[in-house]
Amino acid sequence: MSARLGGLRVLLEVGVALLLGLALGAVLMALWGYDPWKAYQALFQGALGDRFGIANTLSRATPLILTGLTFAVGVRAGLFNIGAQGQMILGALVAVLIGGLLDLPPGLHLPVTVLGAMLAGALWSLPAAFLKLTRGVHEVISTIMLNWIAYWFTGYVVIAYLSQGRRSLQVDPTARFPLIMAGSDLSYALLLSVLLAGLVYWALWHHVAGYELRAAGLNPEAARYGGVRPNRSLVWAFLLGGLAAGGAGAVEVLGRLPFAITNDLSNLGTLGFDGIAVALVGRNHPLGILLSAVFFGALAAGRTMMGYRAGVPFDMIQIVQGVIILAIAAPEMWRIARLRPRRARTPAAAGPAGTGTEGTEGGEGGERERERRQA
Amino acid sequence: MKPLIETRGLTKVYPDGTVALRDVSLRVHPGEVHGLLGENGAGKTTLTKILSGLLPPTSGEIRWRGEPVRFRSPREALRRGIGMVHQHFALVGPFTGLENIALGAEGGGALGPLRASTVRGRLERIMDESGLRAPLDVPVETLPVGVQQRVEILKMLYRDVELLILDEPTAVLTPQEAEELFETLRGLKAQGRTVIFITHKLKEVMEITDRITVLRGGRVVASLETREATPEKLSTLMVGREVVSEARRPRKATEPGEPVLTVRDLCVRGESGLRAVDGLSFEVRAGEVFAVAGVQGNGQTELVQALTGLRPFQGDVQVLGRSLKGLLPGEIGALGVAHIPEDRRKMGLILPFTVAENSVLGLQRFPRFRGALGRLRWRRIYGHARTLIEAFSIQAPGVRAPAAALSGGNQQKLVVGRELSKSPRLVIAAHPTRGLDVAATQYIRDLLARLRDEDVAVLLVSADLDEVFQLADRIGVMYEGRFTGIAPADALDRETVGLLMGGLPLEEALRARARARGSGEGSP
Repeated sequence: MSARLGGLRVLLEVGVALLLGLALGAVLMALWGYDPWKAYQALFQGALGDRFGIANTLSRATPLILTGLTFAVGVRAGLFNIGAQGQMILGALVAVLIGGLLDLPPGLHLPVTVLGAMLAGALWSLPAAFLKLTRGVHEVISTIMLNWIAYWFTGYVVIAYLSQGRRSLQVDPTARFPLIMAGSDLSYALLLSVLLAGLVYWALWHHVAGYELRAAGLNPEAARYGGVRPNRSLVWAFLLGGLAAGGAGAVEVLGRLPFAITNDLSNLGTLGFDGIAVALVGRNHPLGILLSAVFFGALAAGRTMMGYRAGVPFDMIQIVQGVIILAIAAPEMWRIARLRPRRARTPAAAGPAGTGTEGTEGGEGGERERERRQA
Repeated sequence: MKPLIETRGLTKVYPDGTVALRDVSLRVHPGEVHGLLGENGAGKTTLTKILSGLLPPTSGEIRWRGEPVRFRSPREALRRGIGMVHQHFALVGPFTGLENIALGAEGGGALGPLRASTVRGRLERIMDESGLRAPLDVPVETLPVGVQQRVEILKMLYRDVELLILDEPTAVLTPQEAEELFETLRGLKAQGRTVIFITHKLKEVMEITDRITVLRGGRVVASLETREATPEKLSTLMVGREVVSEARRPRKATEPGEPVLTVRDLCVRGESGLRAVDGLSFEVRAGEVFAVAGVQGNGQTELVQALTGLRPFQGDVQVLGRSLKGLLPGEIGALGVAHIPEDRRKMGLILPFTVAENSVLGLQRFPRFRGALGRLRWRRIYGHARTLIEAFSIQAPGVRAPAAALSGGNQQKLVVGRELSKSPRLVIAAHPTRGLDVAATQYIRDLLARLRDEDVAVLLVSADLDEVFQLADRIGVMYEGRFTGIAPADALDRETVGLLMGGLPLEEALRARARARGSGEGSP
């Protein structure tokens, strides 16, 4: 609810950050002798200039919405879940397997394939949840490792078993998303992404499990007091995130050319990691993520035109885009960074130096705590 | 004799306006063990923090060997020879005792070489002289707390302190470890070192100190030789003789009914693994306020956590005949147990959540607020929040404002209101008025009295004797995890409770009180 209340302020903040980022990018381009005005004009043209530009923008936003949701749900539960990349890759693999190898009737093939991919993503989030809950392994560590396992495993399966030239076999036409606009990449996968964003919004703010998940993320101690089982909320956050990330793999494979996975996995790119930036810019709110994903989609779509029309080299384009994204994400990154140590603070931190043990919070613990706050 | 350290007119006002110390003058003579006695919030910790350079005083001066000094950091105080051992040790867990002691005292500047052999040689000498021994070559985190404390003291001796300040050193120790600590202190005294010993335990202060300074409400109320002191005298000084400022909440005529909460042989382990609650048995009846008094840190927190499902326990706990063993906080709440936690900001509320969201924390799964498929019934939640705001006159910018925007008193009213909206049979209230202003305090105490009159069982845990005497029908005083006494409130007075809080058994305390009263009345 508070997110909605603060919506106007957030928009203002993002707007100012966007202008700052654009200005900084313009300075960089000018310094290296490119015409920033022409470059931005080309960027805008390519992304939103005509209906094909817009279709391209939305099509590229489609998987980013989903990986953005993965990260955002994690943050809401107090997690730093960066496993979307691996979950997305496995989702894509399962989409190719079900979509390319299974013969199902037309009306059934697509939903079954999408569902399979989403479940694969969810399944691949479980080791991280398990390790965290049983062994206390931080999810950043475990998901990074799981990402690599998914990457090499999928690369191996594609080359060893599915390869047809430079890519895997293609999914059957019955398992592909129908196009919204002929001649473009824009398919009804967009609808799926928007629907899932709506579902996540509903789950977080209109379902008791989402309420408990957010409570556990903000204050685990108070959540436990309030009858929440924080561990359960963590598992929910991992699973929900995994479903979304697996879905991202599915929409990428089932929604656009080459309807397959390339041998080097390059058509999947870094959709999972990009989701982190999408979520940060979208302030970890499903509605914000929709807008933010479209923004990222526009950057991706306008990139080509920027190089082609304004003659800006690809590296420069990436630098400028990085600057813009960083500017917009910075306030949120700052907030998350400030939130974390407070959660980790222990009563033993009262001493002048680090401590080895924590005594009982006895004696004048309360008094000390009070005084420290005041001091 | 010239004092080693002396303060004159020391006053400390915290930035939020709290006056922690008022015009404190303290004299500590060389070679004595000086006890600093006082209740929670009396200012003991603030005073020692100023002496050891952790906090600057607002006004007043400190004299070290007669010469005015100003410490800008603990390091400066240490250079003069003042060292403090905090309740929470400042040790690096994976480092050995030797490494911990050498850390920060390497000498030879930032790049000076650290020679383990030199440190060890000097330490062996110090250990021989003081009789204080600790293993030097194992990681300190593997050592028992009592031994870690010895490492801390050795650390200070290695830095050649003349004045050693110990903040509640026995709070984390077993009785045996405490006895060993006292031996150590006697040894240090024999070496001519000076010790300031902070405690609220009467027995300890009588046993180990030479002089005692009693603080109350940030003022020095007395400074006396230990041999002139008696536990009764000290507890009177500590607790104060002020006339109870407010009347007892009169109870309605009916007698308490059936037991709602029954506790038998309850044992609970605290954070450190020690037994924080050690074999408690009691019951709370419908229409009765049972108050658990005691100085903070004697197991009250763990007791409440065990009763509310937040901490595992041994023994038998029943609410209306249902055992609480293995139940989760939510399940216990559903049995009709309301819990007003001791820290509203850390536990009672989720500060970034809105007032509405907070108004159902713990009630979110009640059918009232949860519809089909687990859907939250927002309309009812908002209605509920508005009802609470109305019924408990909570000053809030609105139901969609974050709880962090409310003042402390209003936050507490929100917590209390929410808990009472469970229509509980048992209310567990831990320090329900701590940190609140007079009006909010009155309001909440009246509320608890009304609950009692409505036949609710109330378990009040409080360190505030005013509160205890205003509300309680029966009082149990906790000391080191046990009750030193349980008695009807009419049979006790503040001084007796003070003695019980200091660890005296009930009979002894009553006898001591009778003696004191007898002699008082004998010589008007």
